[in-house]
Amino acid sequence: MPEAQGLSLGALLLIALFAYTFWPEETSTHQREKSRLDYLLERKEQLEENLRDLTFEFRAGKYPEEDFAAQRGQLEHETAALLAEIELLQRA
Amino acid sequence: MAAFGSLCLLIALALATYNLLAGALALRLLATGQPARIAPERLAETARRAGIAGFVAVTGAAFALVWAVLTNDFSIAYILEHSNRALPVPYKFAALWSGQEGSLLFWAWLLAGYGFILRLRHRTDVKLFAYAGTILAGIQTFFLLVLNFAAPPFSLLKGAIPDDGNGLNPLLQYPEMVIHPPLLYLGYVGFSVPFAFGLAALMMRYPGEKWIRITRNWTLVTWLFLTCGIFLGMHWAYAVLGWGGYWGWDPVENASLMPWLTGTAFLHSVTMQERKGIMKTWNVWLIFATFLLTMLGTMLTRGGLVSSVHAFAQSSIGYWFMAFMAVVLVVCLAAYGVQRGHLKNERPIESLVSRESSFLFNNLVLLLACFVILWGTLFPVFTQLLNGSKVTVGAPFYNAVAVPIGLFLLFLAGVGPLLPWRATSLKAVKRNFVLPVVALWATALFCLAAGANPWKDGVFETGRLYALVGFSLAAAVLTAIVTEFLRGAAVLRKQTGHNLFASLVLLARRNTRRYGGYLVHIGVVIVVIGLCGAAFNRSVERELGVHGKMSVGPYTLECTGFTQDSNDNYDSDYALLNVYKDGKFVFQVSPERRVYQASGQPQTMVSIHSTPEWDLYVVYEGTNPDTGQPIVKAFLNPLVGWIWIGLLVMVSGSLLALLPSLAPQAVALRAPAAEAPIGREASLETGNPGGF
Repeated sequence: MPEAQGLSLGALLLIALFAYTFWPEETSTHQREKSRLDYLLERKEQLEENLRDLTFEFRAGKYPEEDFAAQRGQLEHETAALLAEIELLQRA
Repeated sequence: MAAFGSLCLLIALALATYNLLAGALALRLLATGQPARIAPERLAETARRAGIAGFVAVTGAAFALVWAVLTNDFSIAYILEHSNRALPVPYKFAALWSGQEGSLLFWAWLLAGYGFILRLRHRTDVKLFAYAGTILAGIQTFFLLVLNFAAPPFSLLKGAIPDDGNGLNPLLQYPEMVIHPPLLYLGYVGFSVPFAFGLAALMMRYPGEKWIRITRNWTLVTWLFLTCGIFLGMHWAYAVLGWGGYWGWDPVENASLMPWLTGTAFLHSVTMQERKGIMKTWNVWLIFATFLLTMLGTMLTRGGLVSSVHAFAQSSIGYWFMAFMAVVLVVCLAAYGVQRGHLKNERPIESLVSRESSFLFNNLVLLLACFVILWGTLFPVFTQLLNGSKVTVGAPFYNAVAVPIGLFLLFLAGVGPLLPWRATSLKAVKRNFVLPVVALWATALFCLAAGANPWKDGVFETGRLYALVGFSLAAAVLTAIVTEFLRGAAVLRKQTGHNLFASLVLLARRNTRRYGGYLVHIGVVIVVIGLCGAAFNRSVERELGVHGKMSVGPYTLECTGFTQDSNDNYDSDYALLNVYKDGKFVFQVSPERRVYQASGQPQTMVSIHSTPEWDLYVVYEGTNPDTGQPIVKAFLNPLVGWIWIGLLVMVSGSLLALLPSLAPQAVALRAPAAEAPIGREASLETGNPGGF
């Protein structure tokens, strides 16, 4: 390809990309700040998963009864505290 | 095409710079709430679009280079140096990454491609993606600066244009060389994405760990590419270099292994952060280190700092990379210094014997391995700085240190899944460890009985001891993982009434991440078995005339003749050898020696006959200049095929882990009241806690 043709093609590309980048658009994508509630809901999801895994591993025979009870108790307390805070925030 | 390509690179640089500056300004305005003439959201949107447009511009430049190589445009110096008319078309594509400038363009194109996908998916989390996109634009700006000013791929030749090019390096004219470098680059470049997200999450004090979930697949895909790239490189070295091995601890091999090690550590430890809210600082620095190691690898390949069989593209651009790495390190340190309060763990690790601590040990050992390899790789640089002469450390150093570390890692891979979360009681240890320990000792005794002992002809060999330990640990880890699968499947069998196979499939589909991970571990075990075989390698070298014979292991090789062939690209000499086992003909091998016409360089093409037990690996080394007799070298390499099978299992496991898990059914569970603002029993949807 001769140099002049190459430069013309490049110039056309430049105009097209410039137009795409700066084309006026009314609707920009907004996002609200992530709140404490959003974070707690994510955490709740994770705790549920941890609890599911623990129960499954117990059923698979990996944990003795007493270890399972202790760990489940810890997880349930953590989850309950989380749910309480979620409820408080949702009420507010 | 040279003018078009150069213009595309300039446009891409302008767009990347705009993306970086406008993106940073928009995020600053959003963070501070300062009034501005243009809405920050609008400014951020133009920055995002500049990133997308930048991908088109870099694609234009890459297209121009490919077009030039396909049309034999030898007016471009890069094409003249890395191609010739007779070069087969697939290798012409390979010319794109076979030299300094082309490979940097390829890197920039892949980075732009990753950025393109990221920017299209920005609605997942607009702010996080805006930060990550801006950081990626910073990296892209660096590469485009190098491409425009330090290593321009479209430089024109001065003077008369030759009729033909110098051809591609013969070492690169092998089918895997069309696949191995792109996979390696996809891995190297891909780590820019989790790095950008990690740095972004730290800079913006991202609340929670969701960014890990968002980047999980990016990281896993990148790791998979790097893994495949490394293994294909091993296979290439095995099949092309003709020394009978697949890993020589070459600085460039090491450069690919180091980010793989830290990337593997990161893949494990982010799980801890996501599930337990721990190891946050650790993870941030792991991904920073991984990115910096990819840059170091690129610098080593190109900067001429160390000598290597791979260092086909040495130049002074190492200084550019050093400066860039320094800037990145300063940015990372500054971000960490300002935001480190955000990285506070939610709880400490409660017990040394728990799954959390096994993950931590796994990380420490991976980092130790990385440090040892880094030390060995940079040792020549340090000695040159101190003494003025390069002192290189070779394979014995790496093998003495890295092999025990690798075996300890294998041990942890078996122990980790067996340990419960948080803390472990003695009862749980007994319950989970009996079978693997039995497997370990049974295998050790079997190996000793079968002759795989540490003594060869009465002399103790460390390599054979490592192999014995490796086989035994492999059996233990395999037992541990298979037990995990069977235990899980037994629960589902009880619940669903399915048969064992259907239960195993359901188990894997319900938790693709965990069982995909286990499958990857099985692949690693198979690879280790293959690596252990190296302790029992044998080789024979002989001058072999027609009807001459040589023996290696159970095979006898008889030379039936020599033949020659020629095409536009190279001339070949073949040795034709019949292979007999127990006096019976089994197959023929024909190792080859090529001389490439464009460069005049010779190249061996090894003949490999692979079985699950061993590889018969035959090299035609040319003729002895004193006697005029052809020289043939034969190796018997036990278990090498297992390495490649192990890779396939690792790939299958990674692909499984990338699939979404089946959603669990939701049932209600009454959780007890906690010491919480509202002191009453709370309702919790656990998603089938009694099941899975």
